[in-house]
Amino acid sequence: MSKNFREIFRFELYQTLRSPLFWGTGLFFATMTFGAVTSDSVTIGGGIGNVQRNAPFVILQLLSVMSIIGVFVTTAFVAGAALRDFERGTHELFFSKPMAKLDYLGGRFAGSLVASTGVMVLCALGILVGSFMPWLEAERIGPTLFGPYLFALGVLVIPNLLLTGALFFALASASRSWLVTYVGVVVFFAGFFVSTLMLADIENQTLGALLDPFGATAIDVATRYWTVAEKNSALPPLAGPLLWNRLIWSVVAVAILAICFATFRTSAGAPTYGALGRLFRRRKKVAQESAEREFEHRPQHDLPPFAPPRATRDFSSRRNRSLFVHALRRETVGVLKSIPFVIMVAFGMFNLIGGSVARFDRFGTKVYPVTALMLDNLEGSFLFLLVIIVTLYAGELVWRERALKMAEVTDALPVPSWVPLLSKVGALWLVILTFLGIGGLTAIGIQLSQGYTNVEPTLYAKGLAIAGVRFLLAAVLAVFFQVLCNQKFVGYLAMILFLISETVLASLNFDHSLHRFADSPPMTYSDMNGYGHFLQGFAWFNLYWACVALLLLVAAVLFWVRGSETVWRLRLREAKARFRGPWRALAAVGLLGWVGIGAWIFWNTNVLNEYVPTDEQERRQADYEKQYRKYKGMIAPRIVDAEANVEIFPEERRVEIAGRFVLKNKSNRPEDTILFQLDRRVKVRRLSLDPKWRAHFDERLGVSIYKLPAPLAPGATMDLSFELTAEEKGFVNQNSDTSLVGNGTFFNNQQYLPVLAYDEGRQLEDRNDRRKYGLPPPERMAKLEDVNARRDNYLSGDADWIGFRATVSTSADQIALAPGYLQREWRVGDRRYFRYEMDRPILNFYSFLSARWAVKKDVWHPDRENVAIEVYYDPAHAYNVDRMIDSAKKSLDYFTANFSPYQHRQVRILEFPRYANFAQSFPNTIPYSEGIGFIADLRDRQDVDYVFYVTAHEVAHQWWGHQVIGGAVQGGTMLSESLAQYSALMVMQKEYGKEQMRRFLKYELDEYLEGRGGELIEEVPLMRVENQPYIHYRKGSLVFYALQDAIGEPALNRALSRYVGEVAYQEPPYTYTPDLMKILREATPPGEQGLLTDLFETITLYDLRATTATWTRRPDGKYLVKLAVDAKKLRADGKGVESPLPLDDSIDIGVFGEAEAKDGGKKEEKVLYLAKHRLTQPSATFELVVDGKPTEAGIDPLNQRVDRTSDDNRTKVTAENS
Amino acid sequence: MLSIRNLSKTYGNGVRALSQVSLEVPAGMFGLLGPNGAGKSTLMRTIATLQEPDSGSVRFDGVDVLSDKQALRRVLGYLPQDFGVYPKVSAETLLDHFAVLKGLANARERRAVVEALLRRTNLWAVKDQKLGTFSGGMRQRFGIAQALIGEPKLVIVDEPTAGLDPEERNRFLNLLAEIGESVVIILSTHIVEDVTDLCPRMAILAGGELRVSGEPRQVIAELEGQIWQKTVTKAELARYEAEHEVLSRRLSAGRTVIHIWCEGDPGEGFEGVAPDLEDVYFHALRRAARDAGQALAA
Repeated sequence: MSKNFREIFRFELYQTLRSPLFWGTGLFFATMTFGAVTSDSVTIGGGIGNVQRNAPFVILQLLSVMSIIGVFVTTAFVAGAALRDFERGTHELFFSKPMAKLDYLGGRFAGSLVASTGVMVLCALGILVGSFMPWLEAERIGPTLFGPYLFALGVLVIPNLLLTGALFFALASASRSWLVTYVGVVVFFAGFFVSTLMLADIENQTLGALLDPFGATAIDVATRYWTVAEKNSALPPLAGPLLWNRLIWSVVAVAILAICFATFRTSAGAPTYGALGRLFRRRKKVAQESAEREFEHRPQHDLPPFAPPRATRDFSSRRNRSLFVHALRRETVGVLKSIPFVIMVAFGMFNLIGGSVARFDRFGTKVYPVTALMLDNLEGSFLFLLVIIVTLYAGELVWRERALKMAEVTDALPVPSWVPLLSKVGALWLVILTFLGIGGLTAIGIQLSQGYTNVEPTLYAKGLAIAGVRFLLAAVLAVFFQVLCNQKFVGYLAMILFLISETVLASLNFDHSLHRFADSPPMTYSDMNGYGHFLQGFAWFNLYWACVALLLLVAAVLFWVRGSETVWRLRLREAKARFRGPWRALAAVGLLGWVGIGAWIFWNTNVLNEYVPTDEQERRQADYEKQYRKYKGMIAPRIVDAEANVEIFPEERRVEIAGRFVLKNKSNRPEDTILFQLDRRVKVRRLSLDPKWRAHFDERLGVSIYKLPAPLAPGATMDLSFELTAEEKGFVNQNSDTSLVGNGTFFNNQQYLPVLAYDEGRQLEDRNDRRKYGLPPPERMAKLEDVNARRDNYLSGDADWIGFRATVSTSADQIALAPGYLQREWRVGDRRYFRYEMDRPILNFYSFLSARWAVKKDVWHPDRENVAIEVYYDPAHAYNVDRMIDSAKKSLDYFTANFSPYQHRQVRILEFPRYANFAQSFPNTIPYSEGIGFIADLRDRQDVDYVFYVTAHEVAHQWWGHQVIGGAVQGGTMLSESLAQYSALMVMQKEYGKEQMRRFLKYELDEYLEGRGGELIEEVPLMRVENQPYIHYRKGSLVFYALQDAIGEPALNRALSRYVGEVAYQEPPYTYTPDLMKILREATPPGEQGLLTDLFETITLYDLRATTATWTRRPDGKYLVKLAVDAKKLRADGKGVESPLPLDDSIDIGVFGEAEAKDGGKKEEKVLYLAKHRLTQPSATFELVVDGKPTEAGIDPLNQRVDRTSDDNRTKVTAENS
Repeated sequence: MLSIRNLSKTYGNGVRALSQVSLEVPAGMFGLLGPNGAGKSTLMRTIATLQEPDSGSVRFDGVDVLSDKQALRRVLGYLPQDFGVYPKVSAETLLDHFAVLKGLANARERRAVVEALLRRTNLWAVKDQKLGTFSGGMRQRFGIAQALIGEPKLVIVDEPTAGLDPEERNRFLNLLAEIGESVVIILSTHIVEDVTDLCPRMAILAGGELRVSGEPRQVIAELEGQIWQKTVTKAELARYEAEHEVLSRRLSAGRTVIHIWCEGDPGEGFEGVAPDLEDVYFHALRRAARDAGQALAA
């Protein structure tokens, strides 16, 4: 290492370490990591969750994220090192010294890279120091380990800095431009995010792990299924994709540096673009020289005095307007033709195309690129660039003349000061609109290229305008900052601080849009309901911010710097002088509008409606639990019958409900207490309970307690009748109600009708939130052993089975629906009435819907049961209606054949707007979101048909949920959700075969394992599931599929049929999982009893691996396959701590041949051998004889066991001795 | 025509750029001479409405420049020191743009003016060439072309010849000389010959104060009989500098010729010479430095 290198290195490092940028950003970043470790209000890349605050996993995550965010800062160091000498003009001083180019570049680069590492070391110190803070609870701090810090720095941070440093050092050297360098940073990041998104699908995870330049995906893949215990103690092994990733990208970094050093130019100025550029420049030079020569030949002394042609001059105000147009055009064209803008447009288009083409919905199945989704895509992968464009070009435009040293000329021109300012703001606006337009056209192109021809230009115009307004407003703010700060980088900084503050303010519960610039309540477009009621609030909020922007604009005109005066005193004096005439008027308009509209908004959001900040919402939840949990399990009089007259007024967003409950005292002693709860927003017009009986009224939480003057005798009944109004008035600040809407009203009884029992769903669930409000650790569900808790089913605490009838009315052009059978339909005036009655008791769980639907009707077995199947759907979403009907029929086939008869005579599927994405089964009625199945693109038959599957799942709930309902204890949802999963799987398997099952279950396994890692309290075995979706859906699928594989589908179905027979329509105490377990044990052969323990009663994991597989050809033409496998079995506790378990399991061993096309064109691999073998040893070898040529072999090849590395279950079979 | 009264300006860092400067500038070429940092550019910028003085007034043709900036801008042609251009725009395009901004609304007339100016400044042949490729002299000529758009009554050129080679400098000064006589032209420069060659009236600014103003002939005459010259050796130089007010020293055939200022004959072999503008200039600078030194000592 030469002396020169050392000196340059030392000097560079010293310069950077002395700079305020280094210490400013370093301390800021350190504060961020410190904050993330010591408080929950700072989160970096996702909250810490349930893991220890200084766990190795946390250290790794924090430093990984910081090394990514830090690129914005470290680029300043490396690019600064590459550019400083050329900017300051000192390059010739350096390159005239006897010094090798390599010493210069190497020294500069190394010095700035070490300084960048220094920033990251400060981040690590932030974590380390944070973990010693006295206010942290001792149980959330682990031992102080230095290994994780060294691992994070050595494996993640330094290679990342090396790569990004090399890249941007090279870019800065090549372009000699800060702007191009930072645009490069942005493009690099956006590319990184997109490729992460595109490769997020689990089919691509290894590729994704290799390609992520930061190694974060590789870390994610390695730790994807880690449990809390592992996150607290382990580091990922430096092997596999992680190791390769680090090696690949380090090599890339070195290669970039080598190219950069080799092609480095020591001359200043912009790049020369090779031979083409040379040719171009030579021609110009010729022209210039000829001009000079011409000048030489002219005599210089006898020129007449100069008298230019006369020209009239116009300084009228009309002329000023055309000056504005002239300037506007110049400024706009200047931006549109600038390279960074073109790069960002190109990048945005690429990004949008990538994001849209790779758009998977669920299980790898695509959805139709409907305009609403394309608008979402534009928002997510295109429009974000506008933040950068606005910030960047506000600075560029405001500083253009000054940067070119032209300002003294232009500022002295007889042009009013507002012309340059407004033309720059206007140019930014036109640039934004152009960008939006390009986005819209690209999106339409994508739609057409995917064969989707329902182009909706007006919807694009509307959607882009709505999405674009905030950028127009931000443009004014950015220009205002640039003008006011009067320093380009301070202006940028102000804008960045503003962008950060928007997020920070929200997390500090300052979430009212009235004080977040350019903010307005979020809105969702639905094909069914359009922008609906959201539009009103949006318009007012944006008008409000437009007034603020007007004020900013006036201020910017007043403070627009003309000339070189930067002293505030003089700027103020000048501003005062400019503040007259129209500016006063505009300021007055802005001020009046701001105050007036602000007051109007406040009236709407805080007076007409209630504004509840997040912390107040949490406090209410906590208070509800503290005050009323004592009523949990109270055997109040229970609802046995419900009748309602529901009048829906969709246009007014109002519903009038007149209802009557019949209450019955089902206990064996007199009861006098009624817990009466209503949503705060519901107004009571009449109530049959006398106000004098009201012993307690809590308006804030919507809880009243009535004491009956004469207690209700055991077995006696009483009426509870009520008239209620629920109405959405004006507009709100957030969480705009989506139940009562113009088209697609959907609400259930628990929303607007009285609830008569303590509602556990209102409790705070997060452990840390609970601690904040002084609540004990959460009990999500009563223990399995709690007999009293089983007096309620888990759906409702105030009823068992009820009779139900309803009259529902709506506007003339809509259909209104409720569970039950349509008895009568009539019209009165412009109202349409429907009478629905249920012919048998149902759970206390019903819904009301109203929309403009198209209806498709069919009948299942018209000869026998004659069940009506009806799909109510938006006319634009007819794509999959037939699939739904088909699925419903096949589901009914399977379930009636295997479980029990269907209790109803109809199945109705009702589309509702995509404000929520679920389907939900009410008695004979299934509301189904437009977002999940109606727009799935099922044209490719290879894809998982989840529309078929979801429909089957919901139909299965008519059995598992509406016939069999579990008590409100652990395991309750296994009896509904897991069994519905199993039932749907069987219907799907029958329709699509085992191959699709395998793909489907792979997703289920992945989501289960990932869900475990995100567990906030503790994982429980399936039979004790506490309403945890990753267990009752994901693990439920795996468990029941494995069980039917072990004991056979018919045996399992017989057991389930017996279970339905025993417990359907049960009165309390309700059934629980041990009831089902008993039947399952009887259905399982003695040798497989252990399997039930593994699947249902414990958390059991396997580590199965095929190590080698070879084949030899036998004389008889058959193949002998030798397969060696490793197998381990583990048991985990609720935190994920694993202990080994002796193996004694029957596990599939399989050999597979070349895939071949089956009927319908589907390719399926050929199963040559598949049978269960008893395994008791950690490794085993098998010799198997198969008929065809083997390609793959393995243990548990269909991934039915819970195995965290499911990819190594199979291996390629190779020819022996070759 | 241009009347400057008691103009003072102190910058935020304490530098006193202008101190009670009063000046009357008639029509014709006016030379403002001063070393770097004398406050010339501050004065030019203040007249050109680009800077605010702390106190004092500037009037042009009866208009109060400080309160009605827009009125002055309509009659102003300004060529700042060290100005830039849009590098990727052609000379004709940018000149046309400036013409629009200067109020030349009629496109036909504007084209004629732009063409005349480009021809006059000998840039017509390169009118389509991007400004980024212009040499320093060409760029200055472009600068004067843009300043002359719209027949300005007040033309301010700030250090226009700095960095130009002698030929380019001549060309440039010729251009200035051809501007009509009814126009006020202020040429700020630190090169004495610029003023000697061109300006019927002049002033010297040093340390933010006006030291000398008048016609060159008249201010030279004031030093008549007070400038003395001698050829000295290098070794003697220090002694003469200590004993006399040395205005300038010039190398001639390896020896140094010095000019000193002295009211009477200094003896010692000094011979009297006729003063020139350079002597006036250095004399004024000497005085300014001495005053500043005294002010500091006081």
